[in-house]
Amino acid sequence: MSQLFTSPDVPQVLTTTLSIPYTLTPGGAAGQFLAGLAERRILGSRCEPCARTVVPAQDVCGRCGEQTPDLVELPHGGTVTSWTAHQGRVVAKIRLDGADADLLHVVAAEPGAVEVGDRVAADWAAEPTGWITDLAAFTPGRARSGPAEATPVARAETSVEMVPYRLDLTYHHAYGPYYGRMFDELGSFSRLMGSRCSSCHRVLLPARAICDVCFARTDQFDEVSDTGVLQAFSVIHMEFVGQTRKPPYVYAEIVLDGSSTRLIHTVAGDFDLADAASTLSIGMKVKAVWKPESERVGTLEDIAYFEPVIP
Amino acid sequence: MQRRISRVAIVSVAQTRLRPSWDRLQHVDLIGSAVTDVLKGTGVTMRDIDFVIDCGSDVLDGRSISNCGFLGAMGGHHKEESRVEEDGLWGAVYGVTKILAGPASIGLVVAYSKPSESDVSAYYSTLADPFYQRPVGLNHRVASGLAAREYLRAHGLDPEVLDAPAAAAWRNAAANPYVEVADAPDAATVASGGLVADPLREHHVSRNVDGAVAVLLAAEHIAERITPAPVWVTGMGSAMDSQMLTDRRPGELEAAAAAAGTAYRRAGVTDPASLALAEVSATSVAEELMVLEALGLAPRGHGASLYGDDSPVAVNPSGGAIPADPVMATGLVRLAEATRRLTAANATTSRAVVHGAGGIGMQNHCVFTLEV
Repeated sequence: MSQLFTSPDVPQVLTTTLSIPYTLTPGGAAGQFLAGLAERRILGSRCEPCARTVVPAQDVCGRCGEQTPDLVELPHGGTVTSWTAHQGRVVAKIRLDGADADLLHVVAAEPGAVEVGDRVAADWAAEPTGWITDLAAFTPGRARSGPAEATPVARAETSVEMVPYRLDLTYHHAYGPYYGRMFDELGSFSRLMGSRCSSCHRVLLPARAICDVCFARTDQFDEVSDTGVLQAFSVIHMEFVGQTRKPPYVYAEIVLDGSSTRLIHTVAGDFDLADAASTLSIGMKVKAVWKPESERVGTLEDIAYFEPVIP
Repeated sequence: MQRRISRVAIVSVAQTRLRPSWDRLQHVDLIGSAVTDVLKGTGVTMRDIDFVIDCGSDVLDGRSISNCGFLGAMGGHHKEESRVEEDGLWGAVYGVTKILAGPASIGLVVAYSKPSESDVSAYYSTLADPFYQRPVGLNHRVASGLAAREYLRAHGLDPEVLDAPAAAAWRNAAANPYVEVADAPDAATVASGGLVADPLREHHVSRNVDGAVAVLLAAEHIAERITPAPVWVTGMGSAMDSQMLTDRRPGELEAAAAAAGTAYRRAGVTDPASLALAEVSATSVAEELMVLEALGLAPRGHGASLYGDDSPVAVNPSGGAIPADPVMATGLVRLAEATRRLTAANATTSRAVVHGAGGIGMQNHCVFTLEV
């Protein structure tokens, strides 16, 4: 027992990455702006009532709300109106010639070599694809491409309709004292620990400090059995992002003996999934099937699955 | 017959200590601590509370609709519960409005944050437009650096003007039992700090911290039975600027001024300097000066003058958001700090202005005026 519950020198943390796929839809003006970049053209939009040209092109004037302002093609040179340097990269507001609002972009220069008022010019990627980084950066000096002045253009024929995109966000979740002990117990002894509410006396799994229903503190840890009752189930055939098992499988809610809450896990065993609906029934007793000790890592996946207990 | 509510008061506040990392506690542990403490000594139990409003960020928390997982720790079971994905000060606006509207008498507002669990720059970049702003590296630091340069340039100021206000913020935070500060830098240390977002140095930008805060609101007829010192909400206002950073007016915070204008009109404030206590939010010292100026506490370009001994306004006696910025809870912490100071035995003022902000480059602003 001695290795248990001693405060670890390093806080227990679960590191996990949320990786979320998106298909972004730029829409009208933004789609045309991005398509323009693929042709090494910088498109802005002009609102005549406001006498104001902004870049990137927008569908609606941000000042007066007028819809579909006219498209204009802008020169590739401009002036730095503000800049900062963060983690080695100079990001600046650049007032392109003929525009009345700034464009936010990177200036390829050493921080000490940039001043407000400096002239900069677009530096294009070798193979533009219709994305803002087709403008690789702005570099000090005169424009080497582009029109001499802002020039009205007809609505572009081409537009970027859809952009595949992915957001990866990494977290270091603290276990805290309740999950900490619960996973300690699971990892060291393969046993499940809940906490008992001091008011309603329900045993809550996962263990927690405060009872959700009573807003009373829990006052003791209680061991929960690895047998229980099937409360609800569904056979999952669909694939979706974040799935930890390959379909088909049984998604089950199980009330473990000695606990008052439902544990989400899977039910499997000596039956065909095609017959799950007739083999399994609500109220059926189930029992944890643990992985071999050598494969246990101290998570709920140490239980391979729950199997029906045939009386 | 429904009682007509004319005033709403803050009747209790509580918070955890704000630390760079509460790495041995979960969100629910921090929230449960603040919510348990806010009820102490009030005679109010969770059963008496009509609604719970909570404020946090799914992106910072690393889970969708994260309030669903935190509900038990804030006593929201089978109650009217609502999540505001904004700073907690907007949650307080919602709460006060609910009580003024009549159907509720006592409400709990909670805000929380554990930025230590994630990458705050990534959080801010998710707020940016994905087509134009995110790919060129826009985050809160870049926005603050640009805002600082524009502010200094607009008023012909040197970056050194930022050092004394930063040192004052850290000094105040070090004296605040609710903020963990190991070493408060003096002005010379601030001046020699590494550049983070030119012209801003290490101690000019906000330090992210973990923590939770809870505020109990009550209708007038109940407030006076809960506490002998209710803090009355006399005005509220909020306003949002353009999403595109490049579409906002450089060197000032127009939306903060608009939010303050609304709050002041409601409160009948004609001389903002009569609000002798200001608790304001900012992601950098330059933006803190811009907030103070937008609130009308100093002329444009003169915000730094408010940190002197002869200042008519006590600015962030808590230390403010530069030494301790629990993103999404920062503004509600300001409300709690102002409440504690207005009700302290040695209080020197009876009126305060409180400010919260949100978004990249402080796009959104919320202002409260308080009175005891």
